[in-house]
Amino acid sequence: MRAWYHCENVYPFVPQEVLDRAESVRASLPNKYCDPKIAADLFAECLDEQLLCDELGVNVVSIEHHSGINSLYGASPMILGIIARQTKNVRILSLGTLITIRPDPVRVAEEYATADVISRGRLEIGFVKSGDSEMVSGNANPVGYVDRFWEAIDLIQKTLTSHEGPFSWEGKHFTHRHVNIWPPVYQRPHPPMWAATGDPETSAELGRRGMINALVLRGPEASKRAFDAYREARREAGLPAPGTDRFAYAALCYVGDTDEEGVRVGSKNLWFLNTSLKQAPQMSKFLPGRMPPEVAAQNYRTVPRPGSPATLRPGQSLIGITAEQAIARGILCAGNPDTVYKQIMDIYEKVGGFGHLIFIGRSGFLDHREAEKGIRLMASEVLPRLPAATPARAAE
Amino acid sequence: MTSGSAEGERLTVHGIELEVLRRGAGRPILALHGFDTIDPAAPFLDLLGQHGEIIAPSSPGFGHSPRPRDFDTIYDLVHLYLAALDELPGDKVTLLGFSFGGWLAAEVAAACSHRLDKLVVVAPLGIKASDRETPDILDVFNRSPDEVRRKSWHDPDRFAPDYNAMSDEALVVHARNREALCLYAWHPYMYNPQLPRWLGRIKVPTLLAWGASDGVVIPDYGRAYGRLIPGSRLALIERAGHHPEIEQPEGFVERVAAFLEE
Repeated sequence: MRAWYHCENVYPFVPQEVLDRAESVRASLPNKYCDPKIAADLFAECLDEQLLCDELGVNVVSIEHHSGINSLYGASPMILGIIARQTKNVRILSLGTLITIRPDPVRVAEEYATADVISRGRLEIGFVKSGDSEMVSGNANPVGYVDRFWEAIDLIQKTLTSHEGPFSWEGKHFTHRHVNIWPPVYQRPHPPMWAATGDPETSAELGRRGMINALVLRGPEASKRAFDAYREARREAGLPAPGTDRFAYAALCYVGDTDEEGVRVGSKNLWFLNTSLKQAPQMSKFLPGRMPPEVAAQNYRTVPRPGSPATLRPGQSLIGITAEQAIARGILCAGNPDTVYKQIMDIYEKVGGFGHLIFIGRSGFLDHREAEKGIRLMASEVLPRLPAATPARAAE
Repeated sequence: MTSGSAEGERLTVHGIELEVLRRGAGRPILALHGFDTIDPAAPFLDLLGQHGEIIAPSSPGFGHSPRPRDFDTIYDLVHLYLAALDELPGDKVTLLGFSFGGWLAAEVAAACSHRLDKLVVVAPLGIKASDRETPDILDVFNRSPDEVRRKSWHDPDRFAPDYNAMSDEALVVHARNREALCLYAWHPYMYNPQLPRWLGRIKVPTLLAWGASDGVVIPDYGRAYGRLIPGSRLALIERAGHHPEIEQPEGFVERVAAFLEE
């Protein structure tokens, strides 16, 4: 199994009373609450953690989230550029640049190609649909974002694989009449492509495209549904069954010397769920385009009707979760190395296997020293015991 | 307001099927709805229906009107209603537009004055009046629902929709309306930067009706709008917000009827 260290470089140092008062901790929380000197320290620490991963053979993830305490990584390509140069060995996954809010996918492709060249072919490209407050801070129309997502991927893929001079793109959402990026990608035909989604319909399309499907904080049941949709779509299309190398599972993880330490320190990661997900209703449940009107309609009721369909976004159902609940739901793996190994393998069995483990090893007030200890224990005591990823089986 | 719409009747314009609400008799009044489709139970309908035949289609994606594939811009809506003017019987049509529909009415009137006898726009959106750092139009997507409620109504407790009291169907219509509005008008937010240049082409008598307490677009925005339409006049309606036809149906219809009868 390939393991990936994931840290969103959160900024937890805003007074709780400010967060309690704010309608949203994303998009509209004034940036006066972020001290750039503290932010500089956080960037240094988080990048150092990536370098430690490079020494230990743990792959690394770069993300992009906008405007809030949940992440200081405003632009994935910029972080990729740093990691691409500073690491020497491991693979680097962007998960990902928010292509549904970027006006020009060709620029994104060029930035990815540059990172692939700097890293001499260690880049993997992940796509996320984005949404909610990111649509607001990114000034992007939330209606129609899924169509925009796929067209952006198509254009990026075409851009990365075209080497014979300019081509023209006049699509529904993007037009670019003269596409010919320099430098081209290092890996051919292009770096491996991923997408993070738990929506079975999107997973099915990933299956038809053969992209890696990552499930982030969705738990084993939702992950299995998505992976099953992926497998089924390939079967229906007459494509070879996927190996576990097409599936990635992401959870909050912390390995301590003891169960007590693992859970005590690992629980700090729950800040991500309990504190950093707070979004104003107009940026989440009332934002058009996120769910069909037939479902979104129920959001307007303050008193739900009996029997009305649940309309919680996946993230919302995690707010307020305890460590025990998070472990039981496969959102958090925490304990001593044996315990964490068993927790991961339990999830592995439940979902039918995965070839990539994305471990979110630092969030909230979990500090740099603790994060590095967790990474070392994960790398030395847990990862070597996990099963190898399998490639696709030949067509039956 | 219950955000209901008139499911049942249909109007086909340029091959596009629209649900349509009809009320009253007399001169044809083509009414273009605002953020929400017009509630068939709204009292102003019967009052205004005494002065003409109201023909109020739900735009594609709004109400129960389907939205054809790739029909997704203000350009599409303007051409749809230009086509409606071509296809409606009679020599002249009175055009009435509310809020977002007032924007469409202004666009249509600028392009096709000769088919109109009069234009009435109620708190129309569609232009940029202030400087680049002053939003003219309340952001109904990015601002809190409480603020939007407060600024939309003179008396929100009495007139703002009570979502808990609405039927599932009416709520779905409301959600459809909001999604369609967002699709068409997210960017630039609720205006066409080119429109002010062309408003001078409106050659018919024009009334701008404005709720004195409107906080979605304040009356000064209406005054700036009016200056761009030659010979237009502004009727300020007291004790009304962004929906004077809902909050002051009698006063609203009285002003409109007097203007139509001139």
